[in-house]
Amino acid sequence: MIKIAALTVQFGGIRPLDELDAEFAAPICGLIGPNGAGKTTLLNVLSGFVAPVKGTIVVNDTPLLSLSPRRRVGIGLRRTFQQELVVDELTAMENIQAVADHVSADRASARREVASALDFVGLAERRNALGRQLNLFERRMVEIAKTLIGRPKVILMDEPGAGLNEAETERLRRLLVELPSAFDAQLVLIDHDADLIASLCMETLVLDFGRRLAMGPTRAVLDDPDVRRAYLGRD
Amino acid sequence: MIDLRNIDIGKIELRKAALIRLIDMAEAIRCFGTAAAARLLSAAGTEITPAIRAVAIVAVIGVVSAVIALTCGGFWLSNFTQAYCMSLAILGCALLYGQLGLVSLCQWALVGAGGWVSLRVYHSIHPPFFVTMLAGGVGASLIGMFWGLPALRMRGLYLALVTLMLAGAFQTLVIVTSFPVGGPGFLGQVGASGNDRISMARPIFAASDTGYFLFVAAVTLLCIFLVEAHRRSKPGRAWALIRKSEQMAIAAGVRIVFYKAWAFALSGFLAGIAGALLAGLFGQLDASAFPTTNSIVIFIGTLLGGYEVWLGAFLGGVLTRFIPALLIDLNVNTNVGFIIFGAALLFALRDPLGLGGQLSILAERFYKQLVGHLRESLKAKAAP
Repeated sequence: MIKIAALTVQFGGIRPLDELDAEFAAPICGLIGPNGAGKTTLLNVLSGFVAPVKGTIVVNDTPLLSLSPRRRVGIGLRRTFQQELVVDELTAMENIQAVADHVSADRASARREVASALDFVGLAERRNALGRQLNLFERRMVEIAKTLIGRPKVILMDEPGAGLNEAETERLRRLLVELPSAFDAQLVLIDHDADLIASLCMETLVLDFGRRLAMGPTRAVLDDPDVRRAYLGRD
Repeated sequence: MIDLRNIDIGKIELRKAALIRLIDMAEAIRCFGTAAAARLLSAAGTEITPAIRAVAIVAVIGVVSAVIALTCGGFWLSNFTQAYCMSLAILGCALLYGQLGLVSLCQWALVGAGGWVSLRVYHSIHPPFFVTMLAGGVGASLIGMFWGLPALRMRGLYLALVTLMLAGAFQTLVIVTSFPVGGPGFLGQVGASGNDRISMARPIFAASDTGYFLFVAAVTLLCIFLVEAHRRSKPGRAWALIRKSEQMAIAAGVRIVFYKAWAFALSGFLAGIAGALLAGLFGQLDASAFPTTNSIVIFIGTLLGGYEVWLGAFLGGVLTRFIPALLIDLNVNTNVGFIIFGAALLFALRDPLGLGGQLSILAERFYKQLVGHLRESLKAKAAP
């Protein structure tokens, strides 16, 4: 459960987030909005990379803003980035092991968690392939597997489907729908693919110019005339 | 003359049967060996495993060092010993640049710092050479970690300039204070005549020039293994994440400051060991041998040799010492070396893998072809 109240971020004269109130309670929540709406800024605030000038964030009853980015990882916050960041010189397994080195309780659980994450994303067979030998879908899967290590509680994904074709997006959708129950974690998803968001997310927050345009059950939100005008570009 | 009437046919038959059994057994062992080798090769795969890499490191350094030890003496043996020390310094520089993308231009100053600490420790308590050497490594490691503090905030050109300034500061300091030579006080200096200078002793088992060269080669080998062990374990993976993206590394729970400091400490340790080995080679160190420009030469050697593989550091060290030594041998001004290095850098710009990287790729291809060929031929032999 993520509770956000009066969250404001200011860069000079620009406010990427402006008095934002929101509550993510569903196992899979969506975060959508036009370019520049403040979606990635919100993820950066949640991760601790951007400090807000005002507001509070509480994740599973823990006030987040007083914690360093590393402490946030310690309480189970994980994230992926818009650009996939798989290290070319490391194998798929080593890329995931690199996270386990720092977040798993001990070596035995690290081994177990890496194997389980590889299995979940379907890369067990390709675990020894170097990062540079993986295709885009496999690299995205490595990125997702990295977030599954060390008992995650909240996973933030920034456009995990970017660049994937229709079949791959469908495989991604089937994977993500299983994720909250398989790993007992809440998933917050940014994506421009409205169909992916509609089929996955129970709740969705729509941002526009840093403000909350709508929030609620995804279907209702996507049918909202204001949302359709601002985001989907049609009435 | 053999009397045929005395021959026991039964015994001959027995011996014949035993011989046939022996031949059968030998054939069975050959077939079994072939099949086992085929199975082994098939299980080994064509990937370069850490064990194969370790064998390659030992083989290359072992063979090259043996050839040098058997064929060189005097001037060239001394230069190759220095080249191996240079390789250690480049190994540290390559670690920072290859693993974290950090340009450090104070590596030769750290070699000097390691030499200074090892001489200071030697003249104070006369410990065994290993202790002196480790003291030099640890001393330079601490200094390297301290000098690496700017790297926590800086990268690229700014970090390069700051570290170059530090190298300049060391050069000035060491010219003023000089290296300890066994005199009284902290600085350990003697009178102007210099007659009371005490030389640092080499290890007893490596007192000769050839013995000391082989000792330096063994230390170089150990240091390469130390770096390889880091690259393939937790710190290496953390460095890889940091180099890819610091934000991503933080999101993965990596302690950025700790792992950067670790890299600087390890790089300084290697430079310090090199300094101690140089002190052991000459018995004393001369302040004029630690100009700031040598730190730039080390970085050039890092690029020429290639910073992603151990072979790059080894070749970089040998090249950057071999070329000036050759120029001295040919009575050519050693500054011509800078022109040669400059021209060679054009090659490095064109191919960032460097000489070591290129050779490693070739060796990997050759190994894969060889294993594939052997596997096929053994399979054919093992087939009924």
